[in-house]
Order: sequence, then structure tokens, then C-alpha cells
Amino acid sequence: MKKSLVLGLALSLVMGLSTGCGQKAAAPAPESSKEPAKTEAAAPAPAETTGPEKIYIPLVSKGFQHQYWQAVKLGAEKAASELGIEISFEGPETEAMVDKQLDMLQAALAKKPQALCLAALDSKAATPYLEKAEAAGIPVIGFDSGVDSPIVKTTCATDNYAAASEVARHLAELIGKEGKVGLIVHDQTSKTGIDRRDGFVETMQKEFPNIEVVPVQYGEGDHAKSTEAAKAILTANPDIKGMFGANEGSMAGVMNAAKELNKTDLVMVGFDSGKLLLDAIKAGTVAGAVSQDPVGMGYAAVQAAYKAYKGETNPEFIDTGFKWYDKTNMDAEDIKPILYE
Amino acid sequence: MQNEVSKNQSGISLKNFINPARAQKFLAFGALILLLIFFSFASPYFMTFDNVVSIMLSTCVNGILALGIIFVIITGGIDLSIGTVMTFSSVMAGVTITTMGLPVWVGIIVAIITGTFCGFISGTLVSRLKLQPFIATLGVMMVTKGLSLVLSGTKPIYFSDTPSFRKITVGSFIKFGAEGKYSIPNGILIFAVMAVIAAIILNKTKLGRYNFAIGSNEEATRLSGVNVEKWKTAIFALCGAFAGVAGVVMAARLDSAQPALGQGYELDAIASVVIGGTSMSGGEGTILGTVIGAFIISTLTNGLKVMGVAQEWQIVITGGVLVLAVLLDKMRKR
Amino acid sequence: MEERLLVMEGIDKSFPGVHALDHCRFDLKAGEVHALVGENGAGKSTLMKILTGVYTKDEGKIIYKGKEIHVSGTKEAQEMGICIVHQELNLMPHLTVAQNMFIGREFTGKNKAFVNDVEANRRAQVLFDKMNLKLDPKTKVGKITVAMQQMVEIAKALSFDSSVLVMDEPTTALTESETEELFKMIKLLKEKGVGIVYISHRMEEIKRITDRITVMRDGMYVDTVNTAEVEMSQVINMMVGRTIFETANEENYTDKENVVLEVKNLNRGKAIKNVSFKLHKGEILGLSGLMGAGRTEVARAIFGADKFESGEIYVKGQKVKITKPLDAVNHGIGYLSEDRKRYGLTLSETVEQNISLASIDRYTNKLGFTNMSTITEMSQEYVNKLSIKTPSTKQKAKNLSGGNQQKVVIAKWLLRDCDILIFDEPTKGIDVGAKSEIYKLLSQLAKEGKAIIMISSELPEILRMSNRIVVMCEGRITGELDIKDATQEEIMKYATKREA
Repeated sequence: MKKSLVLGLALSLVMGLSTGCGQKAAAPAPESSKEPAKTEAAAPAPAETTGPEKIYIPLVSKGFQHQYWQAVKLGAEKAASELGIEISFEGPETEAMVDKQLDMLQAALAKKPQALCLAALDSKAATPYLEKAEAAGIPVIGFDSGVDSPIVKTTCATDNYAAASEVARHLAELIGKEGKVGLIVHDQTSKTGIDRRDGFVETMQKEFPNIEVVPVQYGEGDHAKSTEAAKAILTANPDIKGMFGANEGSMAGVMNAAKELNKTDLVMVGFDSGKLLLDAIKAGTVAGAVSQDPVGMGYAAVQAAYKAYKGETNPEFIDTGFKWYDKTNMDAEDIKPILYE
Repeated sequence: MQNEVSKNQSGISLKNFINPARAQKFLAFGALILLLIFFSFASPYFMTFDNVVSIMLSTCVNGILALGIIFVIITGGIDLSIGTVMTFSSVMAGVTITTMGLPVWVGIIVAIITGTFCGFISGTLVSRLKLQPFIATLGVMMVTKGLSLVLSGTKPIYFSDTPSFRKITVGSFIKFGAEGKYSIPNGILIFAVMAVIAAIILNKTKLGRYNFAIGSNEEATRLSGVNVEKWKTAIFALCGAFAGVAGVVMAARLDSAQPALGQGYELDAIASVVIGGTSMSGGEGTILGTVIGAFIISTLTNGLKVMGVAQEWQIVITGGVLVLAVLLDKMRKR
Repeated sequence: MEERLLVMEGIDKSFPGVHALDHCRFDLKAGEVHALVGENGAGKSTLMKILTGVYTKDEGKIIYKGKEIHVSGTKEAQEMGICIVHQELNLMPHLTVAQNMFIGREFTGKNKAFVNDVEANRRAQVLFDKMNLKLDPKTKVGKITVAMQQMVEIAKALSFDSSVLVMDEPTTALTESETEELFKMIKLLKEKGVGIVYISHRMEEIKRITDRITVMRDGMYVDTVNTAEVEMSQVINMMVGRTIFETANEENYTDKENVVLEVKNLNRGKAIKNVSFKLHKGEILGLSGLMGAGRTEVARAIFGADKFESGEIYVKGQKVKITKPLDAVNHGIGYLSEDRKRYGLTLSETVEQNISLASIDRYTNKLGFTNMSTITEMSQEYVNKLSIKTPSTKQKAKNLSGGNQQKVVIAKWLLRDCDILIFDEPTKGIDVGAKSEIYKLLSQLAKEGKAIIMISSELPEILRMSNRIVVMCEGRITGELDIKDATQEEIMKYATKREA
């Protein structure tokens, strides 16, 4: 009896495998494949096949399950369907897993793509693979935090330093340019983490001498850890006036902490969007946030990669932009499309 | 029930044909071959020299960790700290080589000693101070994770000044084809050498002998006049040493010591050991099985990516394979 | 003819290597106490485990209340009203008395999610009142005496409305007054029409409380007699059946001048009180006493398996310090535990791995590599010498029969050159044929000059094997007997000599 159970499990696994393929087929180009369950439809056609060449551009990101990355993926898929090309989108489970990202990079290169988009967790670690790509004539486009390497000619990213400065200025205004503020940052090693931290802290120091920034806490972008970190700050500094969460997860932590400690007068400002943050801003518990344009970023990255493959030149830095939004303007024409839930 | 009896009988007669130990290796090995065949058909890019080398390279670190932890698992224990001990060792190598400017070989030795020392601490906590392995190594895991961040100043330490360091993993002794077109990275050789060393220790030495005895019946072993405390400590230290080697291989691959990395790697290592047919309750286990288990995991990860399976589904499938492997193993033993 | 409550016929059961039951039968009337006797390994417990659903029978049928039944699990048996009070108690010390009694069938509210402890306590209290038992159902089981725990087991059985209650050696762990309480309880149950199967080694108890006696021997049914019409000596003859033991102590190899081991004033809490004795070369010293008298504790203390508080141990005249088993082994002391499977063998390993476990040092070079071929050779030598029945030295220990497993443990110590061997219940769980081989081996070892301490609960075994007998009670040595003066009665007298 147990044997048949095990066999059943094996069977369901195989089915899972084919469903997985189907998923893949459905995801990048939903309108193109009529039979998503067929594995043949899923497998990317080899580059050597004659007839119209199928262009394949993988995106290797820093994560995949966060709303932010899903929005980047959405933009990339939009560009892909406009251009009629195929893409894939992958990232490691946590941003600490540098080697897992290298494995993904390897697997992506093994498929001989026409171009590659990369948001490197550690640019130096990725160098050999970039060299390999260069040798194979595969152009590499950086996105998000980009890639710190001469091989990468184009980066599509938000100017995180400038965006964080913008947040700092808004927060300073909101608390009357004096008092204590704190911030939760997702990590201390990545470029986005460093830029957002420095942009915020340095702007406060330079432009608002009466504002004191308490020591920065890191929460790995994890909701629970960020909550703990934010609670630690709030408990240690009962007179704190404002808090900044440097990404989606960090901001969730700040909001949780304020709720758990019942700090109703705390001024909170965030970064990015996501349902939690949007709802909070709508309800007025969070004053506002800066949003990058992840959808535009994904879109721009794929467009730039396509151009590079076609031999056209791209600018070195493609600023995908950021915008301050709050309760008053979040439904405005220019804001609404860049917010994602 | 009657049906079951007849089924069992057929199972028994089959067992008589095949030596159970050999059947186990066959099972894991067969699964690996099956995976390779499946992926070869599923994607034209899978069975290419470059991709196979990438699979092997991505097996190295997890494989070496698995080779270490199998010793502890055979005693019936667990070491949750190997992932972060690995990281701690690579940070120590970074501190030695980059910050202090000492030669690369000193850094390597420091890394391995660091790993061994962490293992020794876990072992002492478990054997002499009678903490449960789960708790003791959880503590060591957190301590080493924190220390890695402290020592590195929470930033990666790069080996930019010592280009030779990187060669440890990505350089290559073995090259063939025109102008060395095909090369095998050294990391793979290190993994192979570590596997041979592990097999020798497990099968040919006193430590290996006592390792099985402790896992099979710790109390009986103690009552046989074996200094169980000492040997258990040694086994944990050995596991730590493997984590130290893994730390060097990892750091060399990334050309940097990444202080935030490491947590979660112990689970992959445990999965490799279990897929390789080792029981978590101790007393049995093979090195070959573990190596194959590690390859199954990385083949699966790579193959699913190359095939283009959505990432969410990759996780589902890997988990399913793990459970299935353990179920099949249980069935074999009945 | 009276109505039979229970009839078991043609019950047959084999385990790998042992034919445990050979077409046995047994019957029970309502309201009777029926003794089931036989030597260790005769098959009593196996038969009862089949009745109560612990094992499934290979052949035969069980008729209960006029209907044939198939018991496939203990729970099913309990629900039918067939319960067993095991020799080793199966209670969870961290749960309360009532929680233990109703484990697996807790009272729940309507939503089935919450456990109603109040109801459990009330039901338990009702039962205790019926049994005249003064016990609070809310007490943790770990806090009450063994005798009380036994009562809890009985109460648990009764809570199923049992009509058949099996008691497997219920008095071994009880004091005299506790035993009296138990007998009162049995009488009470009898009056209520419960059929009781009483397994015991104690003839005087059987004479006193049972109505009939069924004798088993070597897994076979011998006879059923009425207790009132038979002398206990007749029953013992039926149990033993044939002289299976060779008289081991007809020759005495003891070298009285040569004291190999001396223990002086050994103490450990309540378990060991001021124990002193000497052991000579070539001697088999029987260490007797009731279960829990402290015999095993003394053995484990000498071997360093447990720490002792005070006392001195001399090996061959030299005072030695033993704090761990390794110390004892280095002084040539080997210990064979009563529980081979837990303390003696690494079951999933091979015969040679077990034999060599204590002596690997000798076959290891400086680099830590062991010489497997020498180990195989040496193991083979001992397999031959002790005639261990195994297809090869590479066979796993768990596939050997009990007797052969015991020999493997003996071989382990012989390979390690141990001159002092402590055997704790060496024939426990071994079938009769193998027993006599172990006896032969013991006297052979004594003849070769080994000094042996043999702990045994079986008085005939002690009397047949020992040259000298030391009797313990409640952690003290209460008597020392030369074999010439020793009788079962004499030993029992000392074994029950409690402190005033």
C-alpha cells in the first residue's frame, strides 16, 4: 500500500515538472502559446535552428519573490511581448546567496542567449562569467544596483542616492527640521543599501543640522527581522520623531514596530511600494514614500539588451527614475502606473 | 493485507539477487543518471561541456559541506553550524590574506584551523557538556554568523591583491583540447580529493570505525571502553575542518569572503546526505552516496533552470525529490 | 461444564531464528486466577503478547466469549476487554495518573479540539474509589512509587471494562506489604468475575492466590493442573522437564590465594551501601538478590559506567581509579550487560566490528588506519572458539540469535584480554539450548583462569554455576554463602533481609 503511495508521489512530481514547464511557457508570452501544457512549447528553441531566429534574453536579478522584483519582471515581460522575444527571470532566495546567483548566471549563459541583463549581488564575484559572456559576444546590461565592471556598458537603474536624499528632505519637512530620526536598511553590503543609507544620512547631516540620525539598523529586507530592528530603535529612543524604511521589507518592519508599540505620532517614510505600504499611505499612517519605477526598469533593461544585440549603442546610465508620492498624489497620472502591489 | 504479503515476498526474492548495500548505491546513482538523461532530452543546452562543468563547480561547496556533515549525521547528531562556520572560515582567510597581508597558504591554513576549532567547540558542547546537537550547533551557528559580520566590518573582503587565491577554485590544472579549450576548474579536483579523504577516514581509520559504532549504539560503545566523548568531539572537529575547506573554495570562487552568506547551506548539505541514503538516526551512511546526493541536487537545480522551469516550481520539485528519495530509501530497507 | 471465557488453541509463532511457540494452548474461566509458569524463554510472555495484540500469531485460533477473534493491535484487544499489565510499566512519567489512564481516548468537548482533564480525573477517581485506592488522579506518575504505578496500570485496564486481565510478573518490583495490597485487589477483581492470567516465578505466590496452573516449556504446552491438587515441587519438575544444565561446579578451579578483584566499602546513594567483597582467580562468584537489590548498580560502578561516591577498588592487589569504562577495560575488566541490545552490541554493525570494538587500538597504526584483515582473522578465531553460529564475520549482529549475540559480546572482552568478566543476567532472553552452551562457556572460562562475577535472578542458575554466592538486598550485602551451604531458601532468606 505504501509502495503505491510512493509511486503516486513520484507521478505527481513528474506532473509537477511538466506543469512547471507549462508555467514557464505561460508566463513570458501568455498570448503566444495556445497549449501551455506541452513541454515542447516551453523549451526555448535552440539558436541554431533555421527560420526566424528566436531571441532569448535572460534576466538574473537579486531576488524573485518580493513584489519589487515581480514588478521588474512585469516590465521585462511587457518589453519582451512588444519585441516578440523570449525572456526568463531568476534570482536567489536571499540577497546573501552570492554563489547561487553565479549558478544562475552560469545556467543562463549555457543557453547561449543573445543578450543578458544582470543585477549583480557581488560584481567582483561575477567577473569571470562576465568575461565569458564578453568572449562569447553576449552583451550584458546592468539593472537595479547594476554591475560594477567595465564589461557592462549600460546600466538601467534608479539613482538611489538622490532618491534617498529626496526622502530625507521630505521627512525633515514633516518633523519640522529638528529631532531624532532612525532608519532601517536591508543590508550593509549591496550598492542599493549603501546608496540609500548614505543618501539619507548625509543629506540629513548636511542640510538639517538640528536633526539627529540614530545608529542605522539592518534587517536583511526580512519583515520579521526588520520589525525587531525597528522596535529596538523605537524602544531605545522614545523621543524619536521619524523613521525611514529603505526598502519594501524594511518599511514593513517599521510599520509593524510602530503598530506593536502603539506609536501613533511617529512620522514614517518609505521606499518603493507594495500593497502594505500603499494601504498605509492611503490610510494616512505612513506619510509618503519614494517609488522607483521597477516596471520601467525591467522594461528599459530588456529594451537596452535588445538594442545592444542589434548593435545599437545605449547610453552608459539609463535613469529609470523615482518619484515622491503620498496620499494626495498617489492616484495621479504620472504616479499610479509605477506603483505596484 | 494478503496482497501485501505476496508483494513483500516478491520484494524479498528481489533483495536476494541484489546486495542491499549495492542496491542503495545503484538507486541513488540510477536516479542521477535518470535525471541526466531527462534533462538532456528536455534541453539542448544541458549536455554541453560548459554546462556539465558548471554543474560540477556548483556542487563543490555543498558537496564538501555534505562530506563533513555526514560524519556527524552518522553519529546520530546534527551540525547546523557548518554553513556559517564555512563563512567564518572564509572571512578569517580574508582577514589573514587581505587585511594582514600574509601569504595565501597561511590564509588557507587559518581557514581550516578556524573551521576545525568551531567544530571542536560544537563537539565539546555536545559530548562533554551534554547539550543536544541541535541546540549546541544552533548556538555556534549564530555566534559564527555574528563574528563573520564583526570581523569583516559587515562588508565583503576582496582578495584583489592576491590574484593567485582565486585560482584555488576557478583556476585549472587539467586542460585538454586545442589550446586548453576544455578545462576542469580546480574546485572540482578539491572536491574529488576531499571525497577520497572522507572515504578513507570513514572506512579505514579508527575514527571511522568508532563513528559508526557511536551512531549504532552510543552507550554500548562507551561500555566497550571507547572514549566516546573524545571521539565525538573529534568527529565534530573533522566536520568543522571540512567546512573550513568549503570556506576556502567558496571564497576563492567568489574572489571574496561574503560575511552575510552561509545560513541555509547546512540544509542543502543535509539534503545531499539524506538523498544519498544516509539515515538521520545514525549508524549508517556512505561517502559515495553523499557525493551522488550532492550531484543530484545541483543537477536538478541546474537542469530545471536550463529547461526554463519557473523558479517557484524549481523549489517545489527539489523538495519533492528530497521527500521521494527518503521514501524510496525507507521502502528499500523494509 | 463451566463456560470458558477464553480458549487459545494451536498457537504457533516464530521469530527469525527462534521457534517461540509450538502449537500452544491455554484457557481461562471467568472469575479465576490462572497461573502461567515456565522458565525464562518458555514462551509465556510471547503467548500473552499474542493474546493482547502485541504480536500476531502465525497459526492457531483464539475464542473469546464463544466467538473466534482476530486481534490485530493492543487497542483492539483493550476494547474487547483483554488487557495486560506489563512487567516493565508503560507509563509516561510527565503526565498525570488520569492522563495516563485515558491516553489515546481522551475525553473531548463537542469540537474535539480540547481535552477535558476534569472528566478524566472524575472517572479515574470513581475507579480508584471502587478499588479502595488512595491516589489523586492529578499526581504526576513520575512522583508515585512503582507499586502505585502498577495499581494505575491495573486501574487503566479496568477502565476498559476488562474481562481478561493479564499480569506479567506483577510482584517483582513490589515490597511485601505492597504485594499484599495487590493480592487484595486480585481477590476483588476475581469476585467481580474478571479472569486473571498470572505470570510469575514465585511459587509461594502461585500456591496462595491461583486456582489453576498451566506449565510451559521451551515454547511448548506441558500441562494444566488444579493448584489445590498439586505440590509446587511437581510444578517445578514440569517446568524444568529434563536436566538441561550440566553441573558446572563439580570441579572448582578457584585459586583462593589469588585475589584478582577486591571491592571495599563501595557507596552510591541508596543504590549501593557499603559493599565489599573479593573475587579470586578461576572463580565464578554468583551475585544474587531480588530485582532492584543493587546488583547491576554494583557491577556498573566497578566497571565505571556509573560514578560511585566512595569506596576503593583493587585489581590484583593494586588500588585502581575507575571513573569511566575505559579505565576498567584498561585494568582487564569486562562487563556484559543484561540488556545486550541496548548496552552490549552495536546491532546494525557486523560481528567482527562488534568483536573488535573494544580492541581497535591494537589494530590501528600511528596514522589512525585500522588493519581490517587482522580484525577479520582474529574475529574468525573467536567465532570458531566460542562456536558462534554466523555465516561469516561480516554478518550484522542483529541477525544473530540471542545466544550467539551474547557470545559475540563475550568474544569482544576476550579479544581485549579481560581477566575479570562481569556477566549481568547472561542467559536473559536466550532459549534453552543456547543457555547450556553459555553455561559451558562460563565454566570453561573459569577453568582458564578468568575470574567471573555472575549476576542472575534465576536461583537455579546461580546455584548451578557459582562457586560462591553473595546475596544483596536494598543495596547492601546481606549474606555470603559457599556453594556447599547454599539452597534456594537460604538465598531467599538473605535476599529479603530488609533493614529494620
